[in-house]
Amino acid sequence: MRLFALFGALLYVASTSWALHESDVGVMDWHKRLVGVPLTGSVATAPTFYTAGNKSLILTATNNNVLAALDSEDGSIAWRYLFEPEDRIAAFYKGADMVVTLSGPGGSTLRTFETLTGEIILEKRMHSPELGHLAEPPYLGKAVAFVPNSSDVYILTNGYTIQHMDGNTGDIKWTWSSPDQSSLVIYSKLVFTSSALYAIGLAKSTASLTLHVTSFSPATGELIHSTNIPSSIENPFAQFTTLTHPEVSIPRAVWLENGAVKSFGLVPKLTGKPVSVKGEEYEGISDIGLGEYGRLVGIKKDGSGKVLKLSNDGLESFWEFKESATSEQHAPSAYAGGIDKNGDPYVVRVYWSHTMKQAVADTFSGHLAEGRGLSTGSLFPFDSRTHGVISHVALSASNQSQYKVISRIVLTTSTGAIQVWEQGQLLWTREESLATIMLAEFVELPEKVVAERLAAQTDEEHWFARVARQLKSTQNLPQYLLHFVKRFVTGSYASASSSAAVTTADAKPSGPLARDAFGFRQVIVAATVMGKVYGIDSSNGDILWSRVLGLGWAQMVGGRVQPVKMFVVKTVSDGGDPEVVLVAQRRADNTLVDTVIFHFNAVTGEDARGVSPADEVFEGLDIISGPIVEAYLLQNDTRVVILLDEYLQVYLYPDTPKTQAAFVQAAPSLTFPLRTSAGGQRRLTGHQVALNLDVSERYVAYPTWTLSLPEKEDISTLIPAMRGPVASLGKVLGNRTTLYKYLNPRLFVLLTASHAVEPTTCGLYVVDSAKGTIVYRVELPSSGGKCDIKTSLTENWLVYHYYDSDSDGTSDVRRSKGYRMVTVELYEGHGVDQKTRSSDMSAYSNETLDLTAYEQAYVFPHAITALAPTSTKFGITSKDLIVATRNNRIQSFPRRLLNPRRPNRKTTAEEAEEYLIPYDPVLPDDPRRVLSHTYEQVANVQQIVTSPALLESTSLVFTLGLDLFLTRVAPSNTFDVLSENFNKVQLVLTVSALAVAIMFTKPMVQRKRLREKWYQ
Amino acid sequence: MTRITLIFGIFSCALMAFAVDIAGKVTWNDICPDSRTLHHANVLLDDGKLRGSITRNGTFIIPDVPVGTYVFSVSSHDFVFDNLRIDVRDAEPIPEVRPYVPGTPLDPPSNVLLSYPINVTPRQKHDYFIAPESFNILKMLSNPMMLIMVFGGGMVLAMPYLIKNMDPESLEEFKEQQAKMAGLQNAVRTGDLKSGFTALLSNTGDEQAALPPAAKAVTGGKSRGKKARR
Repeated sequence: MRLFALFGALLYVASTSWALHESDVGVMDWHKRLVGVPLTGSVATAPTFYTAGNKSLILTATNNNVLAALDSEDGSIAWRYLFEPEDRIAAFYKGADMVVTLSGPGGSTLRTFETLTGEIILEKRMHSPELGHLAEPPYLGKAVAFVPNSSDVYILTNGYTIQHMDGNTGDIKWTWSSPDQSSLVIYSKLVFTSSALYAIGLAKSTASLTLHVTSFSPATGELIHSTNIPSSIENPFAQFTTLTHPEVSIPRAVWLENGAVKSFGLVPKLTGKPVSVKGEEYEGISDIGLGEYGRLVGIKKDGSGKVLKLSNDGLESFWEFKESATSEQHAPSAYAGGIDKNGDPYVVRVYWSHTMKQAVADTFSGHLAEGRGLSTGSLFPFDSRTHGVISHVALSASNQSQYKVISRIVLTTSTGAIQVWEQGQLLWTREESLATIMLAEFVELPEKVVAERLAAQTDEEHWFARVARQLKSTQNLPQYLLHFVKRFVTGSYASASSSAAVTTADAKPSGPLARDAFGFRQVIVAATVMGKVYGIDSSNGDILWSRVLGLGWAQMVGGRVQPVKMFVVKTVSDGGDPEVVLVAQRRADNTLVDTVIFHFNAVTGEDARGVSPADEVFEGLDIISGPIVEAYLLQNDTRVVILLDEYLQVYLYPDTPKTQAAFVQAAPSLTFPLRTSAGGQRRLTGHQVALNLDVSERYVAYPTWTLSLPEKEDISTLIPAMRGPVASLGKVLGNRTTLYKYLNPRLFVLLTASHAVEPTTCGLYVVDSAKGTIVYRVELPSSGGKCDIKTSLTENWLVYHYYDSDSDGTSDVRRSKGYRMVTVELYEGHGVDQKTRSSDMSAYSNETLDLTAYEQAYVFPHAITALAPTSTKFGITSKDLIVATRNNRIQSFPRRLLNPRRPNRKTTAEEAEEYLIPYDPVLPDDPRRVLSHTYEQVANVQQIVTSPALLESTSLVFTLGLDLFLTRVAPSNTFDVLSENFNKVQLVLTVSALAVAIMFTKPMVQRKRLREKWYQ
Repeated sequence: MTRITLIFGIFSCALMAFAVDIAGKVTWNDICPDSRTLHHANVLLDDGKLRGSITRNGTFIIPDVPVGTYVFSVSSHDFVFDNLRIDVRDAEPIPEVRPYVPGTPLDPPSNVLLSYPINVTPRQKHDYFIAPESFNILKMLSNPMMLIMVFGGGMVLAMPYLIKNMDPESLEEFKEQQAKMAGLQNAVRTGDLKSGFTALLSNTGDEQAALPPAAKAVTGGKSRGKKARR
């Protein structure tokens, strides 16, 4: 133990400065920029093409609150803008050269962006967020109308305020608000003509909704006329839109009423009458984003789609897609509109054909073929097994000649992928569901030899086969020798900063996945909210495999699979391919909830249970027909997943006699806290498991202790301590005494928020899970009534981060404000050399509270979104703190700076021996410790996962949130490999120089000796 | 079923209270010449509940700031900006702007008042990398270890000639010294440190005082250490 401590001290010496070289960028790390899954619910947020010159972008708002522009040629991100969480993007509107967004409650904030570069032209608050009406869906009650050939825009926010603004300067020219703001009219569309500006909304009448139109003078904002139009609309989101066309003088409001598509001509005096489209009965209308080009798709009663066109005579039906009626032959159709360079509209119908097992895109262009309209169809091999179903389509078209149309379509799939197809060819795919990862685990890969043997399935080969195999492999001997000599001469060893990615030159890409020399190459198994699980290569971020999770019986009614926990149940050291179990809850659309287990082979993504074939949807095992309360992994000799249903009954996976025996053996020592509520107050209750055959044939958890918090104090988060190997039980001080670490293995952190007094205070507790003892407790200030504490507990080290506004609410005098990082270390006893053996102490010992907490607070330079300590294979290397800051960087802070025993004065010789540095309240913000360096924006990190590599010195750091980022850190330098700046040339030169010197001096010395013998 | 749901927000009393918009501008300089280089950056008050974006031409507005004292900062990925202290006082449309150093107390405020609208300049661009050490033969030779080695090598070659050219008296002295050193080396080799030292010390009486007792203690410590480890 002492040796380890000494070793640790040595490491401190080594950890002078670890920083990145520019040449390491992209070798040691990778960064995958993502935008999130597009919001396809409305035309106002869904993907749409923007073309300027020869640049073609796809604009979309996403689930991750991002406005993004993708290059439609290669799928790269042209630009993206991240909205703040409280400022949700409601809608975006594209103008000639700018994009206008409305975000926040009621559209309280307006931003305009240059469409090609994404630079912010303007940011303006339209109204206070407190005044905003929270609309559902968010785009309701907001609209923007552009004035052609001008920077002026008309903006509708909150459903009742219309403002005329200069889009470049933000100057408001006029404002109009509906006189009674709580009235029953909610405006939702704006239509601009040179003679009048129309605001079209819906008014509540007795049974349904009635169309309401108000017209204004565009220059002054003077109200011309306001009237209800006799109409009855059931669904305002899907059954109402407006149509304009540059060549048509009268724009029209269009809606569906009792199976008829009706329209109303908009003239300033609002004198028109509703007219219905003659002919068929309709079941719906579909806004295909061509409202400004006078196109719309009406869905007839039989399901077939009909293009409706705005002309000077009103709305007329124009074209019907052939065989588009609902049928067994194909899945329901999706319609989309697009324009070409000349501004001519096209309409596409995309559907999945069951007979052809392919997707079909029928493009219709009305102006071609001498004005008769041209329809061109193309098949494209959409892979529904890996991407689910098509949930949204957008179109961009171009035509070279009268009879040739090239259509480029962008698809959004139900699994969150964005794909662009052109003429049946896939241009690119973006797996945007990676921005919704909930759980991620590192899984080590087997060694190459082992992997090959596994692949060959020769577990029990007989002698001849073995000799044959070995003879066969001798043919590689010359190659090996060559390689050896080369390596020996040039010194090109695998170094800690070399890429772990397998280049195609030195390994067959067809070979099985295997680890690199230092175990930097691992598989990250990631489960997303979109019901898809990925295996990601940690060396370069490539997707090794992906599986769509099946819905089981809920396939018929629909539903979704929500990941709950993920465990590695079999590692490389157990032999065979590593395996991962995903515990998920399936929420069917008929409100039934089931707990499902998915058991993966982490290397190939195959079903480890062997039920689902590799090219089918991955079906899980329904283990509990009901929700799950908690899931744990029992990590003894056998790894068992323990699940608790809502009646706290224990289920095991896998459920074999062996695992049952392991569980029965471990059962008496299992203790875990659960959140319960009694009498309206949430409590924390400790549980143990026992078998009582009168109650149930399964083990059932029963409460053992309750942590009663003060009134109005709510539990917000429960964070278990990070587990990892502990290398040393104590810390040897400069004066040769030892502080023994408090290593109680049952600790967890509890975060609470107390609303008992104003302002809200936040609590942080460290609790023993066996008997609910509070080991450490601190009360922290909230920031604006919200508790935003980030914390982590590992070994005996607790670290937490919060914002301190330093106001007690009574006086205005504030001493300081800022972010604080507090570091706490727990030690046994009440001083040095006191030992209680906390690591293997009984939970019921009287000495569990016999400990001392050393703590120190620092001013932290940034707001953060996540933090985690590094983890290494044996825990010898010191642990750095990895932090994701709000300005989108991943930064590491050395443990040495976060030592709570930093003295408040000049260090003494003894303290210097411990490498303690004097206390400084401000933690330095060293840019050379920014792990994400020039990767602009590793955005919205929600979670940092660290994993040991085979090298003790190095830890892998993986961050997830919006972007994915992976790097390696060596907190104490790479002490276990030859240093990067070790100079083999220098060594060789020195040795050869010495050899030469010996060669010269040897005869001299011999001569001298000879002479001495003669003359003595 | 599909009913329009509008939840009316709560009229905040903050709206009734006094609030100002804080405006300012980033002055472009050689460190950061334009907003493309700066990328999307924000200005924040305190913990960022009140914020504004820096636009294409460098301007920013933080809307509806109520009365109070705030710490103003710029959240940028690549650039360092100064922090400021901003006081919004009741019924005064222009806030007070002062320099502020993070980690220092807010009170008493600095006597320096800065102009309003706020003007911030990029101070520094973060340098994320350290230059790798490259191999350089001159640098290698200028290494003290190398110098000693080269000097030693030179001495080995030059020594016989030097000795040859010495006058007999100093040669005698030199030989005596060498014998003493050889004796010491011998002592070290055999482990009889004490006798070696005494031999050395007794012969050089004038150097005895200069030899610190600490040296003895150190060697003693070493041997004790060895024993302890065993």
